[in-house]
Amino acid sequence: MSPDSISALRLSLQVAIVATALNALVGIPIAYLLARRRFWGKGLLDLLVTLPLVLPPTVVGYYLIVLLGRRGVLGAPLYNLTGWTVAFTWYAAVIASTVMALPLLVRTARAAIDSVDRDLERAAYTLGRSELRTTLEVTLPLARNGILAGLVLAFARALGEFGATLMLAGNIPGRTTTVPLSIYTAVQTGESAEALGLVAALTALSCLVLVVANRLGTRAA
Amino acid sequence: MTSRIEVSIRKSLPGFTLDAEWTAGNGVVALFGPSGAGKTLTLQCLAGLVRPDAGRIVVDGHVLFDAVAGIDVPPQRRRVGYVFQGYALFPHLTVRGNVGFGLRDRGRAERRRRVDEVLARLALEAFAERYPRELSGGQRQRVALGRALATDPALLLLDEPLSALDLPLRQALRDELRNILAGWGIAAVLVTHDLTEAYRLGDRIVVYEEGRVIQAAPRAELLWQPSSRAVARIMGIRNLLQGVTIKATPEGIQFRWRGQVLEAVNSPTRAYLPAPGSPLAFFIRPEYVRLIRKDRDTVDSAHHMNLMSGTIVREVDLGVTWTLYVRLDEPGTPAQGDYDLEVEVPRLVYEILEIERDRHWRFSLHRGSIHVLPSG
Repeated sequence: MSPDSISALRLSLQVAIVATALNALVGIPIAYLLARRRFWGKGLLDLLVTLPLVLPPTVVGYYLIVLLGRRGVLGAPLYNLTGWTVAFTWYAAVIASTVMALPLLVRTARAAIDSVDRDLERAAYTLGRSELRTTLEVTLPLARNGILAGLVLAFARALGEFGATLMLAGNIPGRTTTVPLSIYTAVQTGESAEALGLVAALTALSCLVLVVANRLGTRAA
Repeated sequence: MTSRIEVSIRKSLPGFTLDAEWTAGNGVVALFGPSGAGKTLTLQCLAGLVRPDAGRIVVDGHVLFDAVAGIDVPPQRRRVGYVFQGYALFPHLTVRGNVGFGLRDRGRAERRRRVDEVLARLALEAFAERYPRELSGGQRQRVALGRALATDPALLLLDEPLSALDLPLRQALRDELRNILAGWGIAAVLVTHDLTEAYRLGDRIVVYEEGRVIQAAPRAELLWQPSSRAVARIMGIRNLLQGVTIKATPEGIQFRWRGQVLEAVNSPTRAYLPAPGSPLAFFIRPEYVRLIRKDRDTVDSAHHMNLMSGTIVREVDLGVTWTLYVRLDEPGTPAQGDYDLEVEVPRLVYEILEIERDRHWRFSLHRGSIHVLPSG
């Protein structure tokens, strides 16, 4: 494999791992809220989190540019203040992957939390546990396999993210060129051996991830 | 009676309103009624898991909820033990972990000592390291009780504690549960839709129907003196009939029913004195209707009161007993569709008297077996 391919692989793994961690941090609380609480704007939150699942990735990427680009809603003040923009950095790839992977985690984790018998939580309340402690000691441990399966799926999705990443992070070799982008470039420039190697690597990784997710899924059920 | 528990709550849900009021002293209170009558909702309000719209809940002098005063003690601080329907044991914790779950704020040694003590009292020591899925139904029930009792609650709440079990086990565990509750001497409120369970377990029975309490009384009083036709119907009382009063004294009531003049004993505790000519509800337990043997020529009037005769129109073999549906030899419409009285006889009697061959019998009702219900 060429140094470019190896760098792409390393970058992809790095982006996918960070994006999965962010997913856990943001997605699990959202999944809990959607499964257990009633609040104003719940439907909207549900919709927002799920949209990346059905929208073309380029559309999600476009929204991210509008939001975070150098002239974006949040991006412009940031740029004016610090002279730095997230666009075309590997952070942009992380953000794009995180957003694209979030629905997979939230939907899987929400279903897992939903399936935890609410009487178990009520029992914990009557035994003196606060809602937070109950969530940590009862709900999440019992929904563990479902949540892990969701995280594995999110990891796979982040690893394969293409469209939104291209929009927000661009395709800068060594900086934002992840494996899918690298494959695209290789095919465009006729380096078929290079493309084949990366395709094989990504396929193998994805298969592994699916096997792990299925194992977790069957154990959860 | 000093009340340990005072409940007076109102809670509106879509399509259902709970409006319940009752009090209880020491011992076990059974909330009895059909499914969907608001019993479990009452329990959840007592535990603080559901907030009533209005009312007041007091246990042992502590106000747990008072809508007017704005008091709503959270479930964590109510000192109420809850045994859930299906037990709700934590599947990821061992028996020891489950029983010790409510003892987190105690020291490690103290917690261990208390768990050991509870396990010993409930004969669960051998199962301490097992997980709930490795236990039998009876063991699960004991773990659920142990988990709730370990924290020394002021009140124990049990939601259909036996409904998760098969029938034979259910009867054995009902008695076990009764012994545990009596042994622990704890005030308890239990929800059941099974009348036998309510009777075996409850010292006091609160009858629910469609979100309302229609009677709250000590067990014995409820059995023989349901306060109204509604209570009798819910309790599944058969031969619930209506007559017309002839004469009522504190000792007895004479009334007319289906062409018969019947004599009943009046309630010893609260004599009921309906005016002559007014309608009168009463019931006769089918097992208390006596069949008169045909080989006895003389009928002793002291033993055979309220004599009547009729024909068996239908019968059902229930194994241990036979239920006979009897139509009296009277013109007019029978009281209960195509029959007047349901009569239950033991199988042996059915065979000895050869009831199968003979369809026409004489019956008698002891004065004490006719239960007059204050109308409602």
